[in-house]
Amino acid sequence: MAGLARPGFRPSCAFNGPNMAVVAKDSTLMPTTLADIEDMIARIALGDRNAFSALHDATSAKLFGTCLRILKDRAIAEDVLQVIYMKVWRHADRYASNGTSPMTWLITIARNSAIDRLRRIRATAEIGAEPDENLPASGPTPEQAAIARSEAGKITECLDELEPDRAGAVRGAHLDGLSYADLAQRHAVPLNTMRTWLRRSLQSLRECMAQ
Amino acid sequence: MTDPPLSPDLPDDRQLAAEYVLRLLPPDQHATFEARLEAEPALRAQVAEWTTRLAGMNAEFPDIAPRTAVKSALRTRMFGTEARRRRPSLLQRLGLWQGLSFASLALAGVMAWQLAQPPAPTTPAPLYVSEITAEDQSLWLLAVYDSGTAELRLTRTDGSAPAGRVLELWGIKGDNAPVSLGVLPDAGASSVVLPDPLRGSVTDLVLAITDVPLGGAPGGNPTGSVLAVGHGDRTVTRHTTKKGGPAAHPFECLIKRRRPRTPAAAPRAPCDPARH
Repeated sequence: MAGLARPGFRPSCAFNGPNMAVVAKDSTLMPTTLADIEDMIARIALGDRNAFSALHDATSAKLFGTCLRILKDRAIAEDVLQVIYMKVWRHADRYASNGTSPMTWLITIARNSAIDRLRRIRATAEIGAEPDENLPASGPTPEQAAIARSEAGKITECLDELEPDRAGAVRGAHLDGLSYADLAQRHAVPLNTMRTWLRRSLQSLRECMAQ
Repeated sequence: MTDPPLSPDLPDDRQLAAEYVLRLLPPDQHATFEARLEAEPALRAQVAEWTTRLAGMNAEFPDIAPRTAVKSALRTRMFGTEARRRRPSLLQRLGLWQGLSFASLALAGVMAWQLAQPPAPTTPAPLYVSEITAEDQSLWLLAVYDSGTAELRLTRTDGSAPAGRVLELWGIKGDNAPVSLGVLPDAGASSVVLPDPLRGSVTDLVLAITDVPLGGAPGGNPTGSVLAVGHGDRTVTRHTTKKGGPAAHPFECLIKRRRPRTPAAAPRAPCDPARH
């Protein structure tokens, strides 16, 4: 019955359906909940462009921030952002079986797309060394850090239990999309040492978070 | 290597899944892992676990609104100009579904009902006609609904159920649960009288076909998500015929030839096979 009798789920005409106003209201007047996002993704799976537009409005800041953090270049991040939403449009029907929260799903697509682009750029040495000067520093602001701490909860606590440089390596991999080679260079340790650091840190994280 | 050995507590797959999620695997290993994911649900579960586990860090990604021009560019890139956006292509959508869907339902169809016969003195009850097609057109049915008798007639013009399966027909009215209309015979024509809840205005009735095990759908309900394909109002758009105007859809024509009791419509909507 999935997809047919979901409460509040009403596929609509993509162009002039009455739910255009509803979606706009959701995204501008009321805080968008994860359930709203989920609903938008379900509608997108049916080709609903209004839902697609609403999803873009509700999530593009987060996904663009994700791209910028990893790519550190506004023009490239803008291009990757478009690619991300095209992927969302194409693969929205895969979300249901995915099992993660809708924002996690979207950010995962964004992060992977940004990292893939970063690696391709590196491979062709198309990008300069210096990042855009207008970009926020790579670390979170105190406010962002506070929000992150409250939202991230357990993993932040568990990262804090790691030695600072090892926690830094995990963050570097996840938040900056750094490879083992990047991390080894940044922390000035041999590649294999970095591998061991990371693997052990991940294992510790898993154990800590299971508690 | 002077590095201490890895702890045996961390099985290879779990470690690989974590590194995959972090995008730390070298390209060849990444590709190998991804290929395994297709076939190994346990591995996918590991990936989902790590994705969720690490997602807590996502809160550190800042919110930075992109320029509004980026959205306009995206829209153009995806949907083209406004003029093209006005013309939704059902076939495009079906093609997309065909490429993407991995639901268990092999076949899904939709009927967009339309008035096939303009009011005529000899035929007081409107007659509706449409088609039900699978995404890949492996199944094709012609459907005629006589609102006078509430009889739905189906003629299968192409396709058959996969081995060991049968085709079950469902009627869905608005947001209501699908109502089973029975299992279709192997070939040829069949007819069913619509149950009361599905009668009345049939313009918002969606018909869908699923393949189910022999004996019908378990629990009386269809499963899977492909059915949703059939819900688009766009289908109606595509099939819409101007009231009183010339027949625009080949199926109308076909029906008129098969329905001797609609001669009055012929002069207004001449049935010329060459046109189709």
